[in-house]
Amino acid sequence: MMKFDAYSLTRRDMLRTGLIGAASAGAWLSGLGAALADDTLADVKKRGELVIATEMQFPPFDISDNGTYKGVDRDLIDEVVKELGVKVKYLDLPWTSILPGLEAKKFDICIAPVTITKERMQRYLFTVPIADATAALMKRANDASIAKPEDIAGKTVGGQKGTSQLAQLKAFAAKLPKPVEVKEYVDNNQSYADLAAGRIDASVNSFPNLAYAAAQRADTFAVVTPAFGTPTYFSWVGRLDDKALIDAVNAAILKTEEDGRMAKIQKTWFGQSFDLPKTVPEPQL
Amino acid sequence: MMQPQVVVHSLAYLTRAAGMTMYVSLAGIALGMAIGFVVCLARLSANYGLARAGGFYVSFFRGVPLLVQLLFIYYFLAEFGVDVPAMAAAIGGLGMASGAYQAEILRGALNAVPSGQAEAATALGFSRAEIWRRILLPQALRISVPSLINEFTLLLKASSLVSVVGIAELTRVSMNIASSTYRPLEAYLGAAAFYLAINLCLAGLGNLAERRLAAGSLQ
Repeated sequence: MMKFDAYSLTRRDMLRTGLIGAASAGAWLSGLGAALADDTLADVKKRGELVIATEMQFPPFDISDNGTYKGVDRDLIDEVVKELGVKVKYLDLPWTSILPGLEAKKFDICIAPVTITKERMQRYLFTVPIADATAALMKRANDASIAKPEDIAGKTVGGQKGTSQLAQLKAFAAKLPKPVEVKEYVDNNQSYADLAAGRIDASVNSFPNLAYAAAQRADTFAVVTPAFGTPTYFSWVGRLDDKALIDAVNAAILKTEEDGRMAKIQKTWFGQSFDLPKTVPEPQL
Repeated sequence: MMQPQVVVHSLAYLTRAAGMTMYVSLAGIALGMAIGFVVCLARLSANYGLARAGGFYVSFFRGVPLLVQLLFIYYFLAEFGVDVPAMAAAIGGLGMASGAYQAEILRGALNAVPSGQAEAATALGFSRAEIWRRILLPQALRISVPSLINEFTLLLKASSLVSVVGIAELTRVSMNIASSTYRPLEAYLGAAAFYLAINLCLAGLGNLAERRLAAGSLQ
């Protein structure tokens, strides 16, 4: 029989025991995490609720009007969950928290519009497009020196850091005869504020976002037409292993496109309706 | 060019957000006080292990940015299957960070009470509990009030960080209003007015506490 004297444990022994204990607890907990990962679609149906997250600071897609969630995404997700036969819960998270939150399974799907790019496709599963995301420019309404996108040569343009639209602007500017000074902002609203204040000459963003912003402050802003960027699209994103959920969401989105509900949402927020690709397009960027 | 109706239209939304800011801040302050008291006692303890543990707690929670702590509690623990609800992560994060600061404020105040007083009390036959209750704590509390109020106002403003776990507090909501109305100046001025009003109340309470605790002091 083994003799065991607790008092002979050295400090190092105790440390080692503690570390082994912590490691096994960690292993057990991560095993638990994996067990919970099974099938999000089945989970959603079982609990009768789809939990979505977005940043409610991206008009006209996501707006928090006096505390009520509104916008293109809200109208569309409401139709999608009708098709899935579940209720929906909306979370408002800062953009920087959304993709980490998706991976940490704090919610089921991100319905903030995400531009489809090659890099992002490696990490997330995209739905079929929900809107056009082609990059365009907005100027001050009283600025006659900018009539077409090429007129930004030699001027200062602002945009949101880390967005595909800003990347498109840089590629476009590189081909112009005079250099363009690019200012990067934490979010588009600061870029718009600096445009209104005269610190920059134009703001870059997707065409639908700018069209809506200019309509809201027609005395201050005007969109520079046509859009200059490569045609790109916005989609919603899910986790790579949630194919069943994304397939179900795709089927629901396509149904709203067939029966005219999508066109109605587009008319409400963009003033016009347009066709969208029926599959996830191969990204150009 | 200012449009005050932006704030008027969103007043209910801002007021609710201010309520949320006050709720998480007050809960954070209360949790921080409890933690701060325990950690301070641990640091002053004659037990080597306890004193080191207290010291480690303070260095960790003072040394790691609150934003990182919040992200850690809410997102990183979830990777290990520990799903902390947003509100618990927010209050827990604020409280644990504030606990580190409050422990040090309290420790400084206790050290500021001349050691001769406790020695004299021991000589007069006071028990240890009595020395703490009647001599050390009342004086330490009086000394620490200005620093504590300072810490509370800082915590109130730091509570804007809890929006990263999805809590609709004042700063977050003013950003929401700015983005949906394209009127950032009005929205942020509205939020600033709320912060100022709450902090003025806190400072007022601090003054009141100082005056009440001053009873019996030599000054």
